[in-house]
Amino acid sequence: MGAFASLMKGMFGSKEMRILMVGLDAAGKTTVLYKLKLGEVVTTIPTIGFNVETVEYKNINFTVWDVGGQDKIRPLWRHYFQNTQAVVFVVDSNDRERIGEAKEELMRMLAEDELADAKLLVFANKQDLPNAMNAAEITDKLALHTLCNRNWYIQATCATTGDGIYEGLNWLAMTIKKKK
Amino acid sequence: MRLKAWARVKRGKACRGINRWPWAERSSTWTRRSSLLKNTSDDIAQFLYKGEGLNKTAIGDYLGERDDFNIEVLHAFLELHEFSDLNLVQALRQFLWSFRLPGEAQKIDRMMEAFALRYCRCNPGVFQSTDTCYVLSFAVIMLNTSLHNPNVKDKPSVQRFTAMNRGINDGGDLPEELLRNLFDSIKNEPFKIPEDDGNDLTHTFFNPDREGWLLKLGGGRVKTWKRRWFILTDNCLYYFEYTTDKEPRGIIPLENLSIREVDDSKKPNCFELFVSDHRDQVIKACKTEADGRVVEGNHTFYRISAPTAEEKDEWINSIKAAISKDPFYEMLAARKKKVSSLKGL
Repeated sequence: MGAFASLMKGMFGSKEMRILMVGLDAAGKTTVLYKLKLGEVVTTIPTIGFNVETVEYKNINFTVWDVGGQDKIRPLWRHYFQNTQAVVFVVDSNDRERIGEAKEELMRMLAEDELADAKLLVFANKQDLPNAMNAAEITDKLALHTLCNRNWYIQATCATTGDGIYEGLNWLAMTIKKKK
Repeated sequence: MRLKAWARVKRGKACRGINRWPWAERSSTWTRRSSLLKNTSDDIAQFLYKGEGLNKTAIGDYLGERDDFNIEVLHAFLELHEFSDLNLVQALRQFLWSFRLPGEAQKIDRMMEAFALRYCRCNPGVFQSTDTCYVLSFAVIMLNTSLHNPNVKDKPSVQRFTAMNRGINDGGDLPEELLRNLFDSIKNEPFKIPEDDGNDLTHTFFNPDREGWLLKLGGGRVKTWKRRWFILTDNCLYYFEYTTDKEPRGIIPLENLSIREVDDSKKPNCFELFVSDHRDQVIKACKTEADGRVVEGNHTFYRISAPTAEEKDEWINSIKAAISKDPFYEMLAARKKKVSSLKGL
């Protein structure tokens, strides 16, 4: 491809972005996933298996997988998620009891070699609840500042209303465009 | 009241599957409080396994919950499955037909772990350990997702599937032939979405014993004749306002009812459904009010008029064949009668 063509593609062509969505049970992953589809008519035939959604935003085609589970199934990911560009980590900001567990889960994920270059977007979800920790507090509890060589961003969200979700995608879109 | 009959009656508008039942409550408190069910995980598992009138998505949601009790029910639910001599994919197909698998990874994880435990107990020696079976089952769900979910653009090859499963057999590899067969089976035939008999009544009415237009005499004080579309299926008589209606106006379970021909001064070809020996007893049935509420029926008998004498005979024969007997109801009615006669003294 000539320089001009690749420039054109960079400017106008759509890019593919593979994203893993992780987080503890009931953090709101499924709600986030379906809010991504907001406004689009979904007429796909349902499939038995994991929740996977695609959404096109700012010329980037995001494919988001709900993955997770115990450590025993991690080996499966190695091959499967090699080309994953980003991890979206959803955390229930209202669940103070399990925030430590959430941090451990996040750190275990980020320790995977395959995800060494993946960008990290944290959704501090359930901000509508009165007792929710704010983004700064979540940053602190997840020890995001201790992450070295990791491009990360935290976004306060309320998945049920959709607040914050597109702001998060925006950051992802910008980072991926900057890199290439 | 017996669950089965209740579930059947409730198949009407009151519940389109268990989503609208208290089942849908996130915790299992309702189930435990319920007087319909005993509070053991075994009983609930039995109920979900039989699944009559229940929505398979809601069964899946219930079985997928993280609550300890729900996990206990999940394991009891698996005990009801028999996987002996089935290969892994056959067993998975059977299991995944009994409820709708939720799409959340953690739920799938718990379900595959429970499945593997049961599978290995039914088939000792097939896998080196239950963990191998669990990880492989999880991989098969991933495979089904990637091959058949239209949102996944990047379809894996058999090579990638075998590579992905490298080392999952307690550090060693599974036979390549086994993985290849799994891959082909899933590629050629995706896991089927289980049919929801609770969510979709069209399935219930798909292959009826008999259907047609009949006139029905109302049960209120002012009795009027109404034209209704009747469907006889599953030992129940359903009636609709229009043939295209998705939900019936009324449901009459045919349990312990009697039927006979009658003469009516206004309409020809009449027959009647009634409770023999207990003429004043209101027949167990339900109907939908104009405002959408589902209420108990108020008929002590149902008088119905057929368009022709032949149709009348056909209906009577079909209904006779569909009436089921349960001595429990006769016993109950006799007991009630005794109590009320004692009160009268």
